[in-house]
Amino acid sequence: MKTSSIPMRVWILIIVLICSVIAIAPWGYFEQGVVIRGVDKNSTAFDEGMKTGMIITSINGETVNNFQDYTRVIDSTYPTGNKTGIKFVTRDAEFILFDSEPPKITVANIPKTRIKTGLDLSGGARAIVKAENKSLDSNELSDLISITSNRFNEFGIADISVRPVTDLSGNNFMLIEVAGATTSDLNNLIAEQGKFEAKVGNTTIFIGGLEDITYVARTGEQSGIYSCGAYQGEEVCSFRFTITLSEKAAKKQAATTDLLTIDSTNPEYLSEKLDLYLDDNLVDSLSISKDLKGKETTQIMIQGSGKGATRQDAYVDAQNNMKHLQTILITGSLPYKLEIVKIDTISPVLGKEFLNNIILLGFVVFIGVGLTIFLRYRKLKITIGVLVTMFAEAFITLAVAALIKWNLDATSLAGLIAGIGTGVNDQIVIVDEALSGGADSRSLKEKLKGAFFVILTAFFLIVAAMIPLFWAGAGLLKGFALTTILGVSIGVLITRPAFSEIVRHLVKDK
Amino acid sequence: MTQETKNLDWYNKWYKQILVVPAIFFIICLAYLAYFYSVHGAFIYKDISLTGGTTVTLIGDIDIKSIEPLLKQEFSDISVRSLTDIRTGKAVSHIIETSAKPEDIKPAIEKILGHPLDEKNSNIEFTGSSLSSSFYNQLIISLIISFILMSFVVFISFRTFVPSTAIIFAALGDIIMTLAIINFLGINISAAGIAAFLMLIGYSVDTDVLLTSRALRRHTYTLNERIFGAFKTGILMTTTALVAVLPVFFIVTGLPDSFRQIFLILAIGLFMDIFNTWMTNASIIKWYCDKKGIK
Repeated sequence: MKTSSIPMRVWILIIVLICSVIAIAPWGYFEQGVVIRGVDKNSTAFDEGMKTGMIITSINGETVNNFQDYTRVIDSTYPTGNKTGIKFVTRDAEFILFDSEPPKITVANIPKTRIKTGLDLSGGARAIVKAENKSLDSNELSDLISITSNRFNEFGIADISVRPVTDLSGNNFMLIEVAGATTSDLNNLIAEQGKFEAKVGNTTIFIGGLEDITYVARTGEQSGIYSCGAYQGEEVCSFRFTITLSEKAAKKQAATTDLLTIDSTNPEYLSEKLDLYLDDNLVDSLSISKDLKGKETTQIMIQGSGKGATRQDAYVDAQNNMKHLQTILITGSLPYKLEIVKIDTISPVLGKEFLNNIILLGFVVFIGVGLTIFLRYRKLKITIGVLVTMFAEAFITLAVAALIKWNLDATSLAGLIAGIGTGVNDQIVIVDEALSGGADSRSLKEKLKGAFFVILTAFFLIVAAMIPLFWAGAGLLKGFALTTILGVSIGVLITRPAFSEIVRHLVKDK
Repeated sequence: MTQETKNLDWYNKWYKQILVVPAIFFIICLAYLAYFYSVHGAFIYKDISLTGGTTVTLIGDIDIKSIEPLLKQEFSDISVRSLTDIRTGKAVSHIIETSAKPEDIKPAIEKILGHPLDEKNSNIEFTGSSLSSSFYNQLIISLIISFILMSFVVFISFRTFVPSTAIIFAALGDIIMTLAIINFLGINISAAGIAAFLMLIGYSVDTDVLLTSRALRRHTYTLNERIFGAFKTGILMTTTALVAVLPVFFIVTGLPDSFRQIFLILAIGLFMDIFNTWMTNASIIKWYCDKKGIK
């Protein structure tokens, strides 16, 4: 008989538990160093080949175990603005950078496990965005998302998630979540929708994006700040960079300039200028040389400026403006304005406290349920069985969440605990059916069949009840529905069958 | 005569009359909700996530009492509450809510506090009114869809009219009574709170399913014994569920608002479910079985 060997259903549970450990991968507890989460594209670190995902283990010979070590070493390396050499040792390579400022990389502690927490528990900023006075179809939304993602990447923002959300009435939104950013960062990035147009008179010659602009110079001789000076009591710095136009845009430019006359007051140039507009604001007007009349030119020099109270401020402003314009020329422009319908900044400090309390709550619930079950049945084996099953269910749910890279927010964890609660209910049904003796002449198998009818119906009920949440509320409550449904599904498919085997075993033992 | 047979006799005699108690309470709750709707134009007090506006959470022990009146001068609709960790007795955070935009409220708070608000000392959450009103409408639609789906599952599982209707009625009772109590307590419901009602629909009916299944599908023991057996199991189920939910209010209190609200609604709903299952549903099932001659 099978009674002495471990039944199949228990084996399945054990195997799934082992897989869960692998999925959660708690190896981070044994690792030391910091992981690079983002590298600014316009930085020495990027040029030297430092990449996202690398693990820094030491800097200038000092061991770096965690984020605190990292900031301490970096702060002590750059006390003044002098050019300093710095040596990073990662797991697989070494990098030596010479710079006057700290490397433009974002680092974080190595995650302890693959379980990811949501914004409300880890901190960061989130925005839900829609098009102003316009409803986006799914193609437009996916364009918007790819443009936005590109733009965030260009700006060197790490740890960002941009994804589409759809609500019950079919409205499409873009959800942006950035770990560690602030509302104003996010606000600026979204508000600067970056509609770029280059016009001669009223004719648009080219707009931002790959279709018209095939290359934007961002380094070397062809890009940079070339002059600074005082102007009307302010410091002004000018930048310039070259771009390469597509054939189509060049043809359009030729056709338009062909119609222009020579400027009578300034005979070296044509009568109209090439006006550069960013978000409908004139950024610069470039005079067009008379030699270019009717000619297809693919190389164009773009100019602009920045200003400030001091030369340093003006320089930084010009640099930012240049970078911004370059980004927009590369990533293209949006044909509509964006409206922020929701924007949140969550402090990592409070989130951490919340997370610790939720974990503590998990323990309290665990002990409370254990005590209740023990007081009712007065059987240690059954109590342990219930608790082990409960733990297994929570653990497997977390593993699945880690596997599908789900960010667990506070409501997701509420769903997890509530889902486990229904799990305990099901186990009580199993135990009570199995233990019903006396006049109950049914076999154990029949009794468990009765229990499973209740369990399956309860399962379908909770799934049916939670399904609408996948869409309602712009998907912000999806996590709640997901973890609840995951929890009960894992319960019904894996832990409950195993538990009934354990109970069968315990009852037979009697 | 043993105590148990006395109890059974009593139950056989009075079970129909027991129905009156939850029925009256149900009608009171319905009347209250109708009155509530006529006064407020909605079935709940909506919080900022459903009306639109800004929530600023200040972290740490701040003298919020002195800040509130100063803010009130500028923002008349402001409301302030604090989240306290019951173990230390200290405030974890203070939550300031207003319909104003973050651009307006943030500088005002900064001025009073004398230091800037950043991601280390505060949370700032803003929901635009267009989004929040669509949140509300959609969550209400979801609640209705959820209820209809639940009803389908019940009908498919039991395929008999009266017992199925009894379960659905019990679930309706759970929602209506919980809603009435939440409103009576003056609690502002958030998007997560409405989601909790959806969960309540799925969560509270499992005791009803247990009862109906034991009463109709099992054929050993007498009907009364089956109902009492189900009662014993069901009460333990509800007790453990409450044991999972209640520590949020007494032991581990420093939790996010969304989390606490979900648990509060589940806790009230589970209490209500005790009445709706073991007074309403049990009596209807017994009545139905007596009529159908199910012993």
